[in-house]
Amino acid sequence: MNISDNTFDVIVVGGGHAGIEAVLAAERMGCSVMLITAKYGRIGEMSCNPAIGGIAKGTLVREIDSLDGSMGKAADATRLHFRMLNRRKGPAVWGPRVQSDADAYAHFQRQNLAERGIVIIEDEVLALEGHTEKPEGIRCRKNGVIYGRTVVLAVGTFLRGRLFRGQNEWRGGRIGDITADNLEEDIRRRLFHVERFKTGTPARIVRTSVDTSDLIIQESEKTDFSFSMDRNALPIKHEICYLTKTNRNTMMAAKEYMHLSPLLAGRIDGTGPRYCPSYEDKVVKFPEREQHNIYVEPMGKRSRMFYLNGLSSSLPAEAQEKMVRTLPGFKKAVIAVYGYAVEYSFINYTEITPALRLRRTENVFVAGQMCGTSGYEEAAAQGLIAGANAARAVKRVPQHTPSRSNSYLGVMIDDIVSKGTDEPYRLFSSRAENRLYIRQDNAGRRLYEFGRSLGVLSERKSLLLEAEMNEAAEIEKVLKKSIIDGCQAELWCRRPGAEAERLVELIPMLSSFRMDTIFSVMLDEKYSGYIKRSMKRDESRRRASSVNLSNIASYMEIKEICWEAREVLEKAKPRTLADAEKIPGIRPTDLEGLLLYLAGKRFTWNNSLNTETK
Amino acid sequence: MQIKKNHDMNSDVSPEIICAPATPEGYSALAVIRVSGAGSFDLIERIMSLKAGRLRGTRRKLGIISEKGEIVDEVIAFSWPAGRSYTGEEMVEITCHGVPEIIRKIMDILIRHGAGKADNGEFTRRAFMSGKLNAIQIMALASIWNEGRETGNISGRFSRECEEFIILIDKAKELLEGDIEFGESHLDSERKVILKEFSSLIEASETLVKRAGNIEVGQKVFLMGPFNSGKSTLFNILAGGKALVSDIPGTTRDGTRKNIEIRGRKVILCDTAGTGGEGLDLQASKAVLEEIQEFDKVVWMSQDGRKKPPEELSGKSPEILEVASKCDLNPVSRQTSGKHGEIRKLSSVTGEGISLIEEWISTSPGNMSLAGAVDRIVNHILKAEEFVTGDEFGIASEHLNEAEREIRSILGKGENLTLSVERALSSMCVGK
Repeated sequence: MNISDNTFDVIVVGGGHAGIEAVLAAERMGCSVMLITAKYGRIGEMSCNPAIGGIAKGTLVREIDSLDGSMGKAADATRLHFRMLNRRKGPAVWGPRVQSDADAYAHFQRQNLAERGIVIIEDEVLALEGHTEKPEGIRCRKNGVIYGRTVVLAVGTFLRGRLFRGQNEWRGGRIGDITADNLEEDIRRRLFHVERFKTGTPARIVRTSVDTSDLIIQESEKTDFSFSMDRNALPIKHEICYLTKTNRNTMMAAKEYMHLSPLLAGRIDGTGPRYCPSYEDKVVKFPEREQHNIYVEPMGKRSRMFYLNGLSSSLPAEAQEKMVRTLPGFKKAVIAVYGYAVEYSFINYTEITPALRLRRTENVFVAGQMCGTSGYEEAAAQGLIAGANAARAVKRVPQHTPSRSNSYLGVMIDDIVSKGTDEPYRLFSSRAENRLYIRQDNAGRRLYEFGRSLGVLSERKSLLLEAEMNEAAEIEKVLKKSIIDGCQAELWCRRPGAEAERLVELIPMLSSFRMDTIFSVMLDEKYSGYIKRSMKRDESRRRASSVNLSNIASYMEIKEICWEAREVLEKAKPRTLADAEKIPGIRPTDLEGLLLYLAGKRFTWNNSLNTETK
Repeated sequence: MQIKKNHDMNSDVSPEIICAPATPEGYSALAVIRVSGAGSFDLIERIMSLKAGRLRGTRRKLGIISEKGEIVDEVIAFSWPAGRSYTGEEMVEITCHGVPEIIRKIMDILIRHGAGKADNGEFTRRAFMSGKLNAIQIMALASIWNEGRETGNISGRFSRECEEFIILIDKAKELLEGDIEFGESHLDSERKVILKEFSSLIEASETLVKRAGNIEVGQKVFLMGPFNSGKSTLFNILAGGKALVSDIPGTTRDGTRKNIEIRGRKVILCDTAGTGGEGLDLQASKAVLEEIQEFDKVVWMSQDGRKKPPEELSGKSPEILEVASKCDLNPVSRQTSGKHGEIRKLSSVTGEGISLIEEWISTSPGNMSLAGAVDRIVNHILKAEEFVTGDEFGIASEHLNEAEREIRSILGKGENLTLSVERALSSMCVGK
């Protein structure tokens, strides 16, 4: 079969965490799909740390799973180590995090694609084919033009990727990989607004060269936690992770070579992530702090490498060796792969719609680092939404995007398409206004409605989710009619220290339900006052921002707002209150005044949320 | 063009331009009339027969105001462009000679040309609307106005303290959020550091409470009750002053009021005529009832707590404290609780119950007041601290956010403070 005789519904470019979810989501929705990657062997690779989850990120993985994505399943199946972060800071901010076997993880994902019968092609994409408004597919180096009704670009750091280590600079999207310079050129030629970011990765150390008796042991938690609600069998045996700390000598070593840092010498223009800084950054920014935690994580069961979490560096190989050898236990350490920095292009947020479509095209979608984010979880989540919306475009149904009021997915997408980012965007729990509601324990219940309307759920997943919804509803019913210590069971749940196990002892009727669901419903109850309040605020904010202003003939006569604001608004003629808010010089009091005026005029609220604007 | 258009619009019923004398009535060397609103320049240029555009910007122009060919006065007009004046709007101050007849004539001319007469505090209201003054500054202004003594710098010592407080909240929030997101990258718990930050936050909030009580004006505390129930005696004790007291019922007919400070909280203490009278007495007590508003307080006194507060009073829903006065005369009281909670015993002779009344007046400031808002802020901070200790960082963060929201609403145009601001504005004079 000649590949170019076909027209695929959805072509996904890139086999990383975003690409995988995108192609699987489109396939679940019944589209004919194809994945194109530079190297088959690096599909699903963990290019940086061998871990999935964390604060907010772990919750995001559960959300991906609730939309039937594969990241959670892969992380569960290949986990070596588990910790629930923030265990002592309240369930609202818990963050499940696993160390995965990196090779096994990638293998699992490739297997997954194979089982779903995804067509995979190994080639370099050179350009979009056809007009920018509606490309007909992609042009590749070996296969020529491949036709597709929609294209999802999820090319990570490959857009004119440049790798740096000390004075050395070479082309590549990742060590050992090609760079997509041609595709970047094509995107620029089509006048998309492109910017540069940088990121980095630490050295990988030969495991046997490390004296682990000098390291602090980080045991895995014993748990039956799983990201995926499919609850497949989990690996039983855990690996040990270690902790070590930098010291004065590490800092001195870094300082000695600082002038050779590509970043500080000004050879990298791109902005790096503030929250995942290189060790050089830390030395410059916190000169008084000699001690930084370095987590020593095995790359896999059979892997002979350790990952040095916290020691990302793009200093010359010689410097990296010196630095590593100052760490306790690393005196004779041998570096297998040196750390490096990568600089890459991404697309400015103004080009991207909430459905992750390139605004000026009808059928090209983007996900992951191309949108300016960092992190496997962030990428995977966007991939899923981009893939699903590509499928929806093929089916000619309206685009659909999650709301920021009930998921980190929604928070993230709203953040990246409406605010943009001046550094690689990482998800934080504090970015969510409804943090007490957007928890890891209730992801399935939160996203069920959205998943169904997006059309991305398999029948099996739908049933699982429905079962969980029903179970939670049943538990709520039981709580409503039960009395504990003379007080309603619902209120009992709000007491400090109220535990699920104790609740089941007190109300034996609950023992037929799953403990996880009981716990989750208890938390809903516990946080209900706060959740209600923030929902209310959210609602008024949403209503306010979607208020339609296009019926206002003239601002000059609105006495509720000040004179300067009238002139500005008259000129700008914003479409909604949210648009008005973005105009420089418009103050909150002006918006309030505008609302007052509209309330007087009895304008109707425009509730058409989630509908994309062209 | 815009100004012209705006002026035409102003000749209809709700005028955009307001005017009022800003100096006291009576004879003086000079007097000032304030004019504010878009189109003011145009209007003044016309009545002073100046060339168009003469007042644009910050200017000073000498000219003559005349009526039907007859000179009214030679005046100086000072102009401020929008954004740079007291009200934030186009504004002109006309300095004329301080003769009531002249002032009246100029006012007439202004009104005939489309300006409207300003209400109490309307210039300040406009300053508020245009963002020139915040709620606190208005209240501070009113408190100076009402008392003639300084309670704080108008430019806003309290505002500054609020801003500083926000910085403290942000610092605590940064630590808390940092520990939530990155706590795992340092093993040693940051909890102690966070709690230390909270204690300085709590300390600062206590200062804020004190200041808020000082800055706010106009909460009235009415002493009410039947004749001869001891209202004026209590007034004198609380105010430390002299109301006319006698054993003849009905001595206090006109009511006496005084700005006082009770335990750091400023209130206007109002002695009232006894209820249950006829004629003038009845009218006097009706007038008091008219005046009471929901954010005021009433101490209802009757001997031995025998009389209940009248229905009309409860209808106005002020905070009410029922007091059984002269309890030294009836040591064994039968009435212990009324409609508004426990009935407190009071004896002006022995001093029993006085401190209790003082405490009631100085605390529970009511939702609509500045002090109420500050109270809520303190409450949120205490809660936040409690939840950090109680291992619920997410909830702790919510409370910090609420505290910040509340304080920002004080600084901005807070929904909750509208009543306080309205009260402050209505207490000002017309030209303010």
